Amino acid sequence: MQHNSSARSGNNTNTEPAPVRWLLVATAMLFLTLFLFVPLAAVFSEAFSKGWETYLAALREPDTWSAIKLTVLVAAISVPLNLVFGLVASWAIAKFAFPGKSLLLTLIDLPFSVSPVISGLIYVLLFGLQGWLGPWLQDHDLKIVFAAPGIILATIFVTFPFVARELIPLMESQGREEEEAALTLGASGLQTFFLVTLPNVKWGVLYGVILCNARAMGEFGAVSVVSGHIRGMTNTVPLQVEILYNEYNYAAAFAVASLLALLALVTLVVKSWVEFRMKRQEIQS
Amino acid sequence: MSIEVSGVSKQFGAFTALQDISLTVPSGELVALLGPSGCGKTTLLRIIAGLESPDRGEILFNGENAHDDVRERQVGFVFQHYALFRHMTVFDNVAFGLTVRPRKERPSKGAIRERVHELLKLIQLEGIADRYPAQLSGGQRQRVALARALAVEPKVLLLDEPFGALDAKVRIELRRWLRRLHDEIHVTSVFVTHDQEEALEVADRIVVMNKGKVEQQGTPDEVYSRPASPFVYSFLGTVNMFHARPQAGQTASTEHHSVGYARPHEIDVSRQDPGNGAIAVTVSRVLPLGAIVRLELARVDTGGLMEAEIPREKHEELWFTTGEQVYVSPKNLVVFVEDYQI
Repeated sequence: MQHNSSARSGNNTNTEPAPVRWLLVATAMLFLTLFLFVPLAAVFSEAFSKGWETYLAALREPDTWSAIKLTVLVAAISVPLNLVFGLVASWAIAKFAFPGKSLLLTLIDLPFSVSPVISGLIYVLLFGLQGWLGPWLQDHDLKIVFAAPGIILATIFVTFPFVARELIPLMESQGREEEEAALTLGASGLQTFFLVTLPNVKWGVLYGVILCNARAMGEFGAVSVVSGHIRGMTNTVPLQVEILYNEYNYAAAFAVASLLALLALVTLVVKSWVEFRMKRQEIQS
Repeated sequence: MSIEVSGVSKQFGAFTALQDISLTVPSGELVALLGPSGCGKTTLLRIIAGLESPDRGEILFNGENAHDDVRERQVGFVFQHYALFRHMTVFDNVAFGLTVRPRKERPSKGAIRERVHELLKLIQLEGIADRYPAQLSGGQRQRVALARALAVEPKVLLLDEPFGALDAKVRIELRRWLRRLHDEIHVTSVFVTHDQEEALEVADRIVVMNKGKVEQQGTPDEVYSRPASPFVYSFLGTVNMFHARPQAGQTASTEHHSVGYARPHEIDVSRQDPGNGAIAVTVSRVLPLGAIVRLELARVDTGGLMEAEIPREKHEELWFTTGEQVYVSPKNLVVFVEDYQI
């Protein structure tokens, strides 16, 4: 720690010489510029290349507008569900010992290790017309694949680990003592959870939710498989971008893409702010 | 409220934490569970609290089976690392046990405020009700943890290494304060410690534990001056061992060696051989420690190290110096037959 803080004064033997440092920083900056800043700038400049009017018109186009609504709907359902699941799972894993704990941990990681396309295919195989449950669903007039429910299911699966993965290490590091103290003071299990456990991890929860939301809105692969690409019905924003692009409607494609880029930027800002708060809380305790 | 532990055993996997423990804590007393780390004392405390359940045996409060649910057991538990709720102020921490009560049993807001301020006064921290735990020193945090535990008027108070995480000076201050506090409120209390000085100074009774078993229980004076086993003897202070030599006339079938124990202050040091089988030693260090002077000695015959403590007046009279040869003999020798346990 001390070494880092005195690095500026230049009399520290543990830091690299100035030219090396500059070279390293410059290399990193060059990479960032090439692969992040330039593409980001390109998205916005393309989106606005034909002016504000075209930009707004592209967003107001009925199919695009319905894609935006569907994306918001999907996120509004899958993020809260994964929040509840993540909280419950991480609480169980971090604070209790039970048989099958490591199996549960592995299952939580599964969506990270499986290709999103496979994640989508699972649902087609399960709920599709030729799938296991297909005939039954058809008999009861229920549509899952190539409809909003399928998109929501696939999104839930893909974004399943974000909240839990964020909270498990945090809760484990905080230990069980505060919960035990609450219990000896007469608090019920629910009181302990809402008054002690949850406030202690609130920044971690927010962090997980932000990442989960970003992924839920931006997911392409899994959603692409189950959506069926029905215009104005089952297209989400990322799918709509692809369709517009394939139709050589670049201005509109980039206009819609700029929404996702904007989401990424907002996510980044909120994420850094939450990280800052978490670090401060850590220092305090 | 008396506590009775009867035949309690606890196993963690292959590790036996507690083996058939039985002991009684009389109502209103302050009892220390003393032992080295890993002897099972914290496990026993957690079982008394209801935070852990025993594999066998039971816990009785006032002769009745203690409630299985930790919430119904009404114990005050003070954790080694305080376990204060970090996102709550000192006031909210202390009030917690009262505010989580079901509406019917919950005191009014005013009554809670009054009770919390009463407790903050008791722990001499009235001015800091609005601070957060992170803004307090270790000693202050521990006192807040104690006030929080006392707020619910527990039947018994259990403290897990309450001073373990504090620096030496605060530790001594705080344990004297705890003793005075106990004299004021008289709630039956059990505290866990590995520090024999702390146990001797604070407790009414001491339970010495080793390897999941109770070695001895009694008043501080009993366990210090009449230790029941070599373990208790050596755990409660520095000790010199005297191995008995096989003597003429002793039956050859004696399989056990007997070992004599004497504390440093129970050793006589003289320049002349008193002729009663005294041991010749060389003085390797002289340490003046206030009222007493400690001599570090090495046996001439075996090279084994010994320690003696003599009053300062005697040292000023005789003035032992490093390197000289002197004779020591134990004034008071406690003999145990060695069974190769330590």
